[in-house]
Amino acid sequence: MTRPLCSQPMRKGVRGRPLYGEATSGEGVEVEREGGVLEASEGVGSTVPVLGTQPVRAAAMLKCGMSGSQVKVFGKAIQALSRVSDELWLDPSEKGLALRSVNSCRSAYGCVLFSPVFFQHYHWSTSVEVNGTKSNLNCKLGMKSILPIFRCLNSLERNVEMCKIFTRSDKSKVVIQLFCRHGIKKTHNVCFQESQPLQVLFEKNTCSNILMIQPRVLAEAIVLFTSSQEEVTLAVTPLEVCIKSSTEESMDLNSSVYSEMFVGPHEFEFFQIGVDTEITFCCKELKGMLIFSEATHAPITMHFDFPGKPLALSIDHMLLEANFILATLADEPSRASSPQSLCLSQKRKRSDLAVSNSKVGKKDNKAMESISRKVAPRNLYADEILSNISTLENSGSPIMKRVNSDTEEEPGSSSLRKVKEKH
Amino acid sequence: MKFRAKIADAACLNHFTRVSCMVAKLARTCTLRIRPHTLNFILADSAAGGGVSMWCELPQENFFSEFQMEGVSEENNEIYVELTAENLSRALKTAQNARALKVKLTNKHFPCLTVSIELVSVSSSSRMVTHDIPVKVIPRKLWKNLQEPAVPDSDIIEANLNGDLNLKIESELVSVTTHFKDLGNPPSASENESEDRSPEQMAEVQVDIRKFLQFLAGQQVNPTRGICNVVSHKMVHFDLLHEDVSLQYFIPAMS
Repeated sequence: MTRPLCSQPMRKGVRGRPLYGEATSGEGVEVEREGGVLEASEGVGSTVPVLGTQPVRAAAMLKCGMSGSQVKVFGKAIQALSRVSDELWLDPSEKGLALRSVNSCRSAYGCVLFSPVFFQHYHWSTSVEVNGTKSNLNCKLGMKSILPIFRCLNSLERNVEMCKIFTRSDKSKVVIQLFCRHGIKKTHNVCFQESQPLQVLFEKNTCSNILMIQPRVLAEAIVLFTSSQEEVTLAVTPLEVCIKSSTEESMDLNSSVYSEMFVGPHEFEFFQIGVDTEITFCCKELKGMLIFSEATHAPITMHFDFPGKPLALSIDHMLLEANFILATLADEPSRASSPQSLCLSQKRKRSDLAVSNSKVGKKDNKAMESISRKVAPRNLYADEILSNISTLENSGSPIMKRVNSDTEEEPGSSSLRKVKEKH
Repeated sequence: MKFRAKIADAACLNHFTRVSCMVAKLARTCTLRIRPHTLNFILADSAAGGGVSMWCELPQENFFSEFQMEGVSEENNEIYVELTAENLSRALKTAQNARALKVKLTNKHFPCLTVSIELVSVSSSSRMVTHDIPVKVIPRKLWKNLQEPAVPDSDIIEANLNGDLNLKIESELVSVTTHFKDLGNPPSASENESEDRSPEQMAEVQVDIRKFLQFLAGQQVNPTRGICNVVSHKMVHFDLLHEDVSLQYFIPAMS
């Protein structure tokens, strides 16, 4: 009997009886019930309680709990990801709970993965079809719905004793409960939309330039740039690092202040510059990452190469791992022919794609396809990108793929509910 | 035309930053006038600004450890440039841990006020930060619009010669009056001051409350002395003095 990844012993609940037809999955099969009565229909996830018949399928499930100080870090992650996009995926797996976000023009991606040991308790499961195919919880939330719950993090840290998050793929909402001092319990029901999360694959370690720095130094640099300046340029040589306003057009009286800051190599915890370069990227997403890193007190590592190739900002901590991948401006105008954003692929639409994607993803360890981003209007929509998938497949390795469960088959359509309207 | 100055003292830098922030709250774009011994931030009255004007003067020796300037010409040894006030205050705010701050007029593609800051980091090594603030040089023929305004003879109102000041607002539903008593009256400058004016007689002016609020909200430098002059039905003039910095602000009456 496999146990879910959980550092706390089970409190109360019903164990023992496998929920699925075959107890092969090994992913959290525990179910906790507070009332003590297990209703057969709920336990196996079908929405229609039909007595005497076999359950159709089991629902994917996430259930976790955090203390007050953990809520603060969790909330900071959400705030950081809100700088990337207005939508957030909750993506549980055996590695932990990943929060993922991609911006609409696919030029920025953020993912914060909380290890199971970060939580007070952590259970998850995939859904299982009658024919045995599995799929993850595909849960996408609107930032507008979830961000207000995690506002005023300092007061949350003080007042919240426990925060519980629970959702199932056959329910339409995520339940977030904050158990606060003085017996106050706040329950938030946030509707979610069923959507497969996107994931970016980026081989950080093959980058020529790697810098590790305390967030405070970066924060001091970023504060120089006003919100009207969208983009900053990072210029590096083996002798020094310069963060400066990005000047694309020739400046005139109405332009904003041009600022630059030089940081010496000794201020970095790790300094490796293999190639002199200047990369330009969006400030907003960097600020998001900084917010989060200050909460974790961990240094930020930057991986990058030449203009056009993405910049990865990451935090590696015992209990969590954060990665923000940002597109950088390419030098050559000839890039116009290649995709204008982080390439992504979607597993579920074409099965041939699915197979080749996962193979490519696993075997190809070289640096991913360079991406370029135009300053010009960012009006790329998901459908537009997805329709280019077949050309992408031919031109090089896609660097983004839908998170897949371990099977390579397409999830059957019956497991996918109609897309629900976002709350 | 040249200008180059340095601030090496943390307190001076802090004070200068606060003056600059105050100016930024009162004016979007303003004129910086540089003279051998003074710096001025000037907002000339304009219809677009609602008739409000501002004049702020600082003696440079109290702020800068080094100060060199060369004006437009020998007989006109002054420099007038226009800039966005917030750009300067924001640049100065980044310099709070600076070892030294240098400001100079440069010409990189177009005229800039370049602020160079030497920051001290925790590891006690220096970090250089530079801000190039775009400015527009104001031609000499416009200088006459930017001179120090004359302090008008005033009737003191809703403030009177007895040291009473009343601030009143009226709306359809409510009227609120705040009474200040026992304020001082500065000695009148003019000898022709109407001696037949009864000390109790109030003079009044009606001003746009938003402009008044903007002035009050902009105060970052606690003045040691403030004078309010009211010209009946014409305008109100505030003169604030803090150690060495004087700020004058004029709000016209509502028509």
